[in-house]
Amino acid sequence: MKETRTKGKNELLPGTLEMLILKTLSIESMHGYGIAQHLQMLSADVLTIEEGSLYPALQRMHVKGWVLAEWKISANNRRARFYTLTTAGRKQLGVEEARFSQMFGAIMRVMKTT
Amino acid sequence: MGSVLRRLLFLFRRHQFDRDLEDELRFHEDMKARALADADGSSGPPSDAARAAARRRLGNPLRLREQAREPWSFTTVETFAQDVRHSLRLMRRDPGFTFTALAMLALGIGLNTAIFSVAYGVLWRPLPYANPDRLVIVSSAQQTGRGVKAFSTWAPMSYERLRSRVTVLDSLAAYAPIDPTLTGRGDPLPVSAVDVSPNFFATLGVNPARGRAFLTDASASDDRTAIVGQSITIDGVPRTVVGVLPPDFTFRPVVGNGAMALPETDVFLPNRWPGDTGRNRFVFLLGRMKSGVTRERAEAEFTALVNDASIVPSGALGTEGALAPNVRTLARAAGLQDYGTGSVRALLLILVGAVSFVLLIACVNVANLQMARLTARRGELSVRMALGAGRRRIVRQLLTEAVVLSLLGASLGVFLARIAIGVTLPLVPQFALPRVGGIVIDVRVMAFCLGLSLVSTLVVGLVPALRVGGAAFGEGLALHAGEGRTTGDRQGERLRTLLVAAQIAMTLVLLIGAGLLIHSFVRLTSVSPGFESSGRDGVVQTVRVTLPPHLYDEPERIHAFARGMLDRIQSLPGVKSASLINSPPFGMMFIQGDFDIEGQPKPKLFAGTPKIDAGYFKVMGIPLLAGRDFTARDTAAAPKVAIVSERVAREYSQGGPGEGLGRRVRLDDRGEWLTVVGVVADIRQRGLDRPVQPMIYVPFQQERGGFVRFVSFVARTATPASVVEGIRAEIRRAAPDLPIDTTVTMDQAVAASVAQPRFRMLLLGLFAVAATLIATCGIYGLMAYAVTQRRREIGVRMALGAERLDVLRLVLTRALRIVAAGLIVGLAGAAGVTRVLQRFLFGVTPTDPIAFTIVTLLLMAVGLMAAWLPARRATRIDPCAALRAE
Repeated sequence: MKETRTKGKNELLPGTLEMLILKTLSIESMHGYGIAQHLQMLSADVLTIEEGSLYPALQRMHVKGWVLAEWKISANNRRARFYTLTTAGRKQLGVEEARFSQMFGAIMRVMKTT
Repeated sequence: MGSVLRRLLFLFRRHQFDRDLEDELRFHEDMKARALADADGSSGPPSDAARAAARRRLGNPLRLREQAREPWSFTTVETFAQDVRHSLRLMRRDPGFTFTALAMLALGIGLNTAIFSVAYGVLWRPLPYANPDRLVIVSSAQQTGRGVKAFSTWAPMSYERLRSRVTVLDSLAAYAPIDPTLTGRGDPLPVSAVDVSPNFFATLGVNPARGRAFLTDASASDDRTAIVGQSITIDGVPRTVVGVLPPDFTFRPVVGNGAMALPETDVFLPNRWPGDTGRNRFVFLLGRMKSGVTRERAEAEFTALVNDASIVPSGALGTEGALAPNVRTLARAAGLQDYGTGSVRALLLILVGAVSFVLLIACVNVANLQMARLTARRGELSVRMALGAGRRRIVRQLLTEAVVLSLLGASLGVFLARIAIGVTLPLVPQFALPRVGGIVIDVRVMAFCLGLSLVSTLVVGLVPALRVGGAAFGEGLALHAGEGRTTGDRQGERLRTLLVAAQIAMTLVLLIGAGLLIHSFVRLTSVSPGFESSGRDGVVQTVRVTLPPHLYDEPERIHAFARGMLDRIQSLPGVKSASLINSPPFGMMFIQGDFDIEGQPKPKLFAGTPKIDAGYFKVMGIPLLAGRDFTARDTAAAPKVAIVSERVAREYSQGGPGEGLGRRVRLDDRGEWLTVVGVVADIRQRGLDRPVQPMIYVPFQQERGGFVRFVSFVARTATPASVVEGIRAEIRRAAPDLPIDTTVTMDQAVAASVAQPRFRMLLLGLFAVAATLIATCGIYGLMAYAVTQRRREIGVRMALGAERLDVLRLVLTRALRIVAAGLIVGLAGAAGVTRVLQRFLFGVTPTDPIAFTIVTLLLMAVGLMAAWLPARRATRIDPCAALRAE
């Protein structure tokens, strides 16, 4: 039960999925499938988002109040649940970005040292 | 904060959530399928194959849904609920275990709750006054050659002087218990009342619910009972009710520190005790300390004041127990809360200790049952562990089971406690418990009960749970598979054996305590009081009246009343002989004083000084050893005479009782000399546990002092009930306004005097029996379980030629070893613990060999008996069946 939460086999650095979702939603409201497509496309198929990680992550963010969920009509005329970034979510995005770049910089510094 | 709220809302919209998620995932699946179809180049709706592929990519939908739901749920709470459901299911499946465990826990927790509610109500519940912790009873004590002498009462004059001088108190009030008669409405009614100083209620910080308190500045003559403004007649004086106290108000004056609490006070009368000469001490002092003042500081100031002769005159305070001159007097300020709870406190604490033993034994037993059950449940637990349940998860499950069990046990226990209190409180001997009104099961008692269930949870749950944590459990699965079960779970069994032995030890301590009290009680009741309360001629019946001063102001009137009544009582049908006395043995009142013997130094003795009429010794069956009884000729005009008891006669003559005749004695220094005309046998006047009291009997008709207002008619009769009715009718005819205080036979009076030890004995006996029952179940359970576990071993032994007797011996020896180990520990424990019973023992030492021996043998027999049943079952094991079964 417990292990499943971290066991998602995405090849992302831990903790980055939520940041990527937040970033995606900061452009426009999107449904889950759209988020997955968007990420896959932008990363040129490097990042495949597992549904098993995506939807629990969306729910987690919903619980925390970072995103709002509402039913709308999608581009192909189907009912879909669209997620929208809230103010709290936007703030969180800033936090996560800062943390990530700090972490990334640190990792790069380590890797560049010979 | 917000997230918790959202999660709470989620609980109510679960279905909506599930539907949304369902839709969302279906949408996702559709989109995926379409994308796959697009990739294949086919247009139009996606094929079934594409759909299937999409679904495969999506993975297990159930799991996905679970995962998506998880952020919303309160995992801890939900697993707990799950565990609770599981526990309840398990309990339902094993009604035998459930019933036994619940019964034991309910018994243990119930007894504890009951005793705690009594102890709390009597000892610790804050009194219903404002800031009760600042209220103190001021008394005094002197260190004399014969030990510390304590004085609880003061002269009103001293009170007034202390009140005007004291600085550490907000106010100082005085009260004096009296027992007046309410007349004018139906039968005359004796009421319990207290004379109080006008500032009494202000000192307590209590306001009347209706009307007003007493005026402190005017000489008011008022009081309260029924309706404000109405008039009632008390002791012949009409008084106006000025106030009614709130319903929860309670005031039970305590007489002396430690002994008795008088009944709840009905009436408060204002009094300033005019005409007090400062010689008689009879008021109690109740003070309210100023905020921030400690008891020590209050005592220091009072000690200084008390030793000032201008405030408390020294040496002239009545005869008995006078404050000695030239001895420093120490003032004491006892908290009102603690005052008068001395011996009750000790008893209650002992009872609290005893019942916590019972609870501990019960818990240990349930833990034991749980462990035995755990072994049986190894399969289940192993499977759960194999399926991925962590050790912590299992331990949590077991603890949850214990919580459920304990809470259920606690609720049953509260129920039980309610019944126990309802049934036993009326049986508590009168005056034995102060503040009975405080004994209720309320929030605090419930909190205590909850605490107890927590303790029992820990014992019941943690012990088995830790066993699961132990390494031995790893082999569980293997055992479940049925391999090599010859001797059972050794480690678990060792622990269980230890627990059962501990139970035996604790039970023994309780039983020995009860045994000591029983032996002590037997000793006490075999003491002869010195008079014959019942015999061939029937029983001695007493009827007590108090002649109020407003009706009988002159001794002559009292003498005439007594003489006339006695004549009529003696001619009542059924009366063999009758007489009277002012202070009957084993009564509420005992008057004593020092005395002189002519021509001898003052004896260092106090003598009881009852006033009696002719024939008293015949009625009571007290042998007259020499001389004569009083007669009708010993009137007020005749020469003053006395009859002394053997103990007094020995004080002045070494020869036989006859030599005591003709000497003269004197009661208190100013009295007349009385000629001794008779010597009677000694009696116990105040209780079977008290030493024989020297007695100097004086003719009732020759006494003019105040104590003749208390008249107890005594009659020997075979038909006490009809004689009481006869006497009652005669009194009503002669004096319609005279209430009858009490009507008891001497048998009843003697029984009442041992009511407290009997009650103590019964209570502790009850607890000990409960503990024994539980411990017996423990031994039985352990042995029965062991026999089942070792079925095959026993079968093998029998197949190899062991006789039934050998098997019996095998099982019984093991039981005996456990019991013996428990007994040895218990004996050592008891030897150390029974000292707390010291003050309740009569004629028995705390390490009384008789009680120790009998109780130990008894418990051993009970233990072996409990083991006997499983042992016999072991002998019936069919070797073939046992061997084949595996």
